[in-house]
Amino acid sequence: MIVIKDLHATVGGKEILKGLNLEVNAGEVHAIMGPNGAGKSTLSNIIAGRDGYEVTSGSITYKNKDLLEMSPEERSWEGVFLAFQYPVEIPGVNNTYLLKAGVNAKRKHLGEEEIDAIDFMTLVRHKAKIVELDPSFLARSVNEGFSGGEKKRNEIFQMAVLEPSLALLDETDSGLDIDALRIVAGGVNKLRAKDNAIVMVTHYQRLLNYIEPDFVHVLSDGQIIKTGDKSLALELEEHGYDWVKESK
Amino acid sequence: MNQVTQTRKNALSLFEQTGLPTTSNEHWKYTDISRIEPLLAESVEEHVSIDASAYVINDLDAYRLIFVNGILDEEQSELPQSISVLSLAALAHSVSDEESEQLAKLFEVSGDEPLFNGLTALNAATASDGATVCLADNAVLDKPLYILHLSNQNNVIRHGVMLGNNAQAEIIEHFVGLDDARVLSNISTNVILKDSANLAHYRLQQEGLKQSHIARVEVKQMRDSSYTLHAVELGGLLSRADIVVNLSEIGAHCDLNGLFVLDGRQHVDHHTRIDHKAPHCSSRENYRTVLDGRSHGVFNGKVVVYEGAVKTDSAQSNGNLLLSKHAEIDTKPELEIYNDDVKCAHGATVGQLDDKQLFYLRSRGVSAETAQELLTFAFADEVLTSMGNNTIRRFIEKAAFAKLPHSDDLKELLD
Repeated sequence: MIVIKDLHATVGGKEILKGLNLEVNAGEVHAIMGPNGAGKSTLSNIIAGRDGYEVTSGSITYKNKDLLEMSPEERSWEGVFLAFQYPVEIPGVNNTYLLKAGVNAKRKHLGEEEIDAIDFMTLVRHKAKIVELDPSFLARSVNEGFSGGEKKRNEIFQMAVLEPSLALLDETDSGLDIDALRIVAGGVNKLRAKDNAIVMVTHYQRLLNYIEPDFVHVLSDGQIIKTGDKSLALELEEHGYDWVKESK
Repeated sequence: MNQVTQTRKNALSLFEQTGLPTTSNEHWKYTDISRIEPLLAESVEEHVSIDASAYVINDLDAYRLIFVNGILDEEQSELPQSISVLSLAALAHSVSDEESEQLAKLFEVSGDEPLFNGLTALNAATASDGATVCLADNAVLDKPLYILHLSNQNNVIRHGVMLGNNAQAEIIEHFVGLDDARVLSNISTNVILKDSANLAHYRLQQEGLKQSHIARVEVKQMRDSSYTLHAVELGGLLSRADIVVNLSEIGAHCDLNGLFVLDGRQHVDHHTRIDHKAPHCSSRENYRTVLDGRSHGVFNGKVVVYEGAVKTDSAQSNGNLLLSKHAEIDTKPELEIYNDDVKCAHGATVGQLDDKQLFYLRSRGVSAETAQELLTFAFADEVLTSMGNNTIRRFIEKAAFAKLPHSDDLKELLD
């Protein structure tokens, strides 16, 4: 699905990623854990194509294409999705309209017909149920006036509608209470499939109690310094990140 | 000589003393009307008859007053039975001495009024016609009153609106240019709202791109009355509006919403003035401008809170989006407060589109171009959401949308 090789990247002239390697295959769920400032959000943003990050060397190959050559919208059309840590409020832009525009732009890119308006509404209502999103949210402006938990739920709802091949969840658990976390995680679990992959970026082990990863990576100072299975997350919880750095 | 004629004569003398405003006047610093001065000398030409049906807002269920080049066209108008809507020209000819005294008040101008200038006096002196709308106490206008102004000649119009205690009305003023004539409109709308009266007032300026538009809206509000203005500027080469609201008795409330969507070399200047003269009054003001090409917007919003106006609650905001590096906005929110017991907020922003919002939309598959257009439209549309009349809102959205950069992808937004 995606192969990241020796990735070096700077933000405002400061090197944040220092030779990161990662391979994620279809059907897998990966967790990338690490302390604050390790480069977790930088990695998500670079994969999604945000401005302000400079890749100085290395490569990202996605479905055998050079991901770094694509615009953010092309990445979306090709199946990359980022669930934002801090989803932005967009007053005046309707939630459903945005998704329909996104779905149809993707279809156009793939040479398909536009989605039928009624089929689209059926799809959207069905997907809203997965994350227990009240249908009234569909008619509201994107994230406007949503609580922290509602914003995160809306991200997973959008993911459900856009059906990405590769979903990046950036600190999706932050700011969620236990009930909201269970709903969001439940939504993600329903979207797991053998032809898609999920990468969770998280500071805490908590989310992994609900979404079980196949692989856990420790990101520290711009590199992945250790990879294991879900038990690694538990060890991290117990011993802290310094333990990995020392045992490296 | 009856009272009306005398009052208008006084207005003419006042104009002759004052002359036209120049850029050395602080309130006219950014708006140079020397280029429209020659238009003032041109007299009204021959009467033209025009079929208004091509210009009216079609699906609007409303009473209609159609003015063509400054004269009411009764044939094409449809007046309500229950209330008094009279052509000013007809009224001035037929009134008794006593009525004349009343009507004369509509033509009184004083050099001491906020934002007074020579054009204010000139309007009172030379207006050819206008609507006088009077609602008795407790009267509710069952349909909006739609006033369409068509012009390809100079026109000077003076409207008077008086709502009695508890009366309610919705008035839509629509200005449309008939062709590319280089002409001037000078429009004055004078409103008095008695206790608990409620007026929703729309002003939609869509004149021709060589026309100049000078407007003054003066509102006097009594106890617990409520006034809402939606002022939308899309047309014209040069447009200037002075909006003066006097919250003169306890509990009065006003809302001023403004939207400019400009391109080319359009120049639009709004000066608003809200006087909080009594306790427990509130005011809200929200102006947005979207400026493309070499257009120039000016917003000056002044709120004055008088000494006795305790518990005043006032908020003002002005957002400006510059789509071109040659577009210009001059914005100045002003606040003068003469007592301590008030809640006042004001602010202005000038900028381009938000990078975070753009990236968010693109990450969901919306192309960069469409994302920019979508955010621009949303920015402009935000100020329209408070409109109570959906037909008008849709009409304005479509007209504004047509002026904004847009691709086919976005059309669905308005379906």
